[in-house]
Amino acid sequence: MEGIVLIKKAKQGDKEALLQLVMKKKQEYYKLAYVYVGNKEDALDAMADMIVILYENIAKLKKDESFSTWSKTILVNCCKKIVKKSSKIISFETIEEVAVPGDFEQKNDQIVLENHLLQLSDKHQEVIRMRYFLDLDYQAIADILKIPLGTVKSRMAYGLDRLKESFRGENDENH
Amino acid sequence: MKTIEDELKKGKTNLDQLEVPEELELKLRNALVKAKPRRRTGWQIRLAVACLALFMISYNFDTFAYFGKKLVGYDNVMNGALKELNELGKGQLIGNSYTFKNGILFTLDGIMIDESQLFAFYSLQDPTGQVDVGQMNHHIQIEGSWGRYYMESGRGELNEAKNQINWITSFKPPFFLEKKMHVKLTLTGNGKSNGEEGEITFSIDRKKAMGYTLQKGINETFKVEGTKVSLESIAASPTRTVINGSIQNIFELAMDQIKEERIRPKIVSIKLLANGQVVPEQGSQMSTDLKGITFRYFYDALPDQLNTVQIVVESLLADYDVKQQVALEENGRKQQLQILGQDIEVNKVYQSRGSTYVTITTEEITVLTRVYLIVDGKRIELQETITNEMQKLADGKILHIRTLQFPATGKSYQLDIERMTSVKKYNKIIDIPVN
Repeated sequence: MEGIVLIKKAKQGDKEALLQLVMKKKQEYYKLAYVYVGNKEDALDAMADMIVILYENIAKLKKDESFSTWSKTILVNCCKKIVKKSSKIISFETIEEVAVPGDFEQKNDQIVLENHLLQLSDKHQEVIRMRYFLDLDYQAIADILKIPLGTVKSRMAYGLDRLKESFRGENDENH
Repeated sequence: MKTIEDELKKGKTNLDQLEVPEELELKLRNALVKAKPRRRTGWQIRLAVACLALFMISYNFDTFAYFGKKLVGYDNVMNGALKELNELGKGQLIGNSYTFKNGILFTLDGIMIDESQLFAFYSLQDPTGQVDVGQMNHHIQIEGSWGRYYMESGRGELNEAKNQINWITSFKPPFFLEKKMHVKLTLTGNGKSNGEEGEITFSIDRKKAMGYTLQKGINETFKVEGTKVSLESIAASPTRTVINGSIQNIFELAMDQIKEERIRPKIVSIKLLANGQVVPEQGSQMSTDLKGITFRYFYDALPDQLNTVQIVVESLLADYDVKQQVALEENGRKQQLQILGQDIEVNKVYQSRGSTYVTITTEEITVLTRVYLIVDGKRIELQETITNEMQKLADGKILHIRTLQFPATGKSYQLDIERMTSVKKYNKIIDIPVN
């Protein structure tokens, strides 16, 4: 109920109300952003980009109750933009005398999993990450990504299959 | 056997352990501050400018009262020019308050306006003495009929009892048609007002406002290794002096980006002289937006008796192409290099576990932004900078010592420096006509 009041206020241009709306679910937003960009700074930047877009466009939001999904769709798009940009531009800070750390020799589980996930295409990765890392159901994923439910399911099935293959391949090498 | 789902679940556990950074709220708030006002558009669409906020809090503060037409209690947060103006009784007294539901009292004591900025003098007080107001943050903006004015910079001072803090905050000057203004303040941090907005309304008394003492176009452009630096204008008002300029316009920036020859100027060093004396610098601001890279330098107000004004462009610190290869001595002995007028001392070259390590010492500002090691004719990329140490000398100079790691070893070594940051001295003097 309080959320609806805040959305109404935010629609009238109340920045504080909008800020509260986002802060109330900060964990959800932050995790979603983190899943895409993989680091704190970019996740914060993506959320800052998101809140500006929300502020400028919230008046156009027809159904108040879809604020959560709508804002997450925007966040995902902001994240994708950041990821795309960072693969093209090297900022001044990063071209200082610091190079990418060498090969990770320590094969801890997370890196292994991450490496396997990275083998998949972006669209297959994102549904798997959303389903398993963020615990979102298929419908929520479909709403945020604005794709049909069937597509989510087929991407998920295909992605998991590939992931299994990829894991199996490695286990065979080890034994 | 572990299933793929188990592996993925582990990934979730890692993500669940993530903590939302504390700076998130501030970051979002700042982003919103910069967002353009939604309800009024048209001619008022302005580019969001990076806000520069300086918060300085010190722990001594004694009395707070009004005497005649002067603001008292802000002495320690006023700079020289403001103090003088306050002594002269410039500025407009307001003296209105708002009490938040949590008991915090917000009082707007006065304002001072000239053509370059608006200063708000206000205090936040906890009458109960329970809340440490030093732990309290706030967000302030001023709204008029013609637009919103965001905080540019501010200084606050906390009293010893920690129950009152006095602030002087500067804003862009209000549009000349503005009459009635609303100061809106929200509390964050400890003593959060939960969205409650303290509002104080006042009318601008234009008779109390001060104009420019000097305003001149400069339009001087000079080239630095392919970078164009333009000084556009100088505007002196009773509270401060501002020099506006730009480095490259957006078109040139885009071209450089395409050509992959970005020069990112870091610091332009500009001095302002009035009657031959250096005017103290208050701060500077650099932003990249649709207009390219623009900068503003702020100095103290100019003296009343003004005979000459000069701007000295001293130097520009930027990234330059070097493309030089230097053979390193065998046995890893010490070696002194001079590149673009900067000293680079090679302290040590040694090999360990298939990598070659080169330790160098330079001045603090010198950074080899693109460097390779040619090992037996093969160019090896820098892998990592493994140690980083700063050393301060007796004369105040700071040396930067670090070790670069290149993943290869061999017999002959050459350091291949493609680009580095460097200071180019100019010392170009521009005379500004006073009359």
